[in-house]
Amino acid sequence: MASVEEITTPVAFLYCGACGMPPEYCSYSPNYETHCIKWLKKNVSPADFLKYTASSNSTADGGEEGGEDAGPPPPSEPWTTKERLVAFYTKYQPDKLDGIDGILEKYAGKEDKLFNALVKKYGPEPDDPYYYGAGSGDEGDVADKMGALDVKDTKKRRGAAAKKVKQVDTRVVVQKISRNRKKAVTHVVGMDTVPGIKLKEASKAFSKRFAGSSSVKDKEIIIQGDHLEDVAEMIVNKFGVSGECVFLDLDGEFVAFV
Amino acid sequence: MFKRFDSSNDVSTSTQVKSSVQRGIKSQITTSHPSVTEEILDAFLPKKPPLVQYKIGPHLMLYCKQIEGSGNGDEPIFFQHRDGPILPTLKFVHKYPLVEFTKVTVDRGAIPYLLGGANVMCPGLTNVGGEMPADSDEGPGLAKGDGVVIYAEGKESALAVGFMKMSSADIRKKNKGTGIELCHFIGDGLWDTEEIN
Repeated sequence: MASVEEITTPVAFLYCGACGMPPEYCSYSPNYETHCIKWLKKNVSPADFLKYTASSNSTADGGEEGGEDAGPPPPSEPWTTKERLVAFYTKYQPDKLDGIDGILEKYAGKEDKLFNALVKKYGPEPDDPYYYGAGSGDEGDVADKMGALDVKDTKKRRGAAAKKVKQVDTRVVVQKISRNRKKAVTHVVGMDTVPGIKLKEASKAFSKRFAGSSSVKDKEIIIQGDHLEDVAEMIVNKFGVSGECVFLDLDGEFVAFV
Repeated sequence: MFKRFDSSNDVSTSTQVKSSVQRGIKSQITTSHPSVTEEILDAFLPKKPPLVQYKIGPHLMLYCKQIEGSGNGDEPIFFQHRDGPILPTLKFVHKYPLVEFTKVTVDRGAIPYLLGGANVMCPGLTNVGGEMPADSDEGPGLAKGDGVVIYAEGKESALAVGFMKMSSADIRKKNKGTGIELCHFIGDGLWDTEEIN
């Protein structure tokens, strides 16, 4: 019997970063092939990866080890980007194989975008035998008919869809707005693009620092008083935003804060 | 119940749970889930800081734990519809996998339907792969109205939470119709709610 201590200590449960469900349910997410598998490949140990994808994979019964009946033994490392591209074009468009080097150069560092576009254009990426064992591919169809439930029938999938990651580039703009002739007000726009910051907290921090009232309105923070540079400095130092993402509005020009 | 729940719109303000109510919650949970002792519950429902409750609609209560740090956030741990059973949220169940709530297992064919919020039909529990506490002479399995945590055949983590619409004896006998009404499932509005402000 586990002790009360053990029972009441929380476990850091790992949820799939793409669909938010426990990884064993990922195969029920409508975006399983496009998002979940990719995320799992990157973030989960290869043993766990095989375990989680086993149900949607034909080689669940250890086909990876039984290399005798299915061609070359699995490679010792996952595919490099180039190998993935070669596999892709070999499957869908062999006459483009020569252009692969050019594509690699063009998309260096943006491989995710590249494969997203390719999958969209041609279809699912061919399986990497490091992860799927030597015998995947054709056997997938056999598994379809054998499975009691056709999870591969994507129309039937009802689990959580992959979260659309809104590409929010961190971008904060600090403006000074004149209220009266003497008084001014500092506007901070875009604090919500800073990851990990709650607007309310930031606003409180500002008002403490500048001894002026600060309020949150529609995702903007308004601080009484003229504190352009000080605000920018505080954002960089305290909230850990890089200076390039903070812009000061000086006479209508946006200047990045150094 | 939480299919279209949105924490920024649908919750009203929070109130601290009265200690009498908190005691009531504890005793209810201990009766319906006998393996969860008072000691265990004390760790989750401490007297200080007390739980906080949010009202969602006229008859739905969400009991939350206040999280230190981050200012306002409250983490939902239990919920209750009308005077029904007090049910744990799935994030809570996953976080403390050793806590033994009353559970049932459904056949894996039911999984995609439950993930869409459908109720559990009797065959999902009586087929190979489904499991329910046995009805024996010492005591009935599950009575109508009991809260249960629902697991799926072959999966380790809980899939959904609901309450019995028929007793387990009835389910085995009739094997027709809705067996368990689903209140909360992976991927619903409550699942997406990490913190309420």
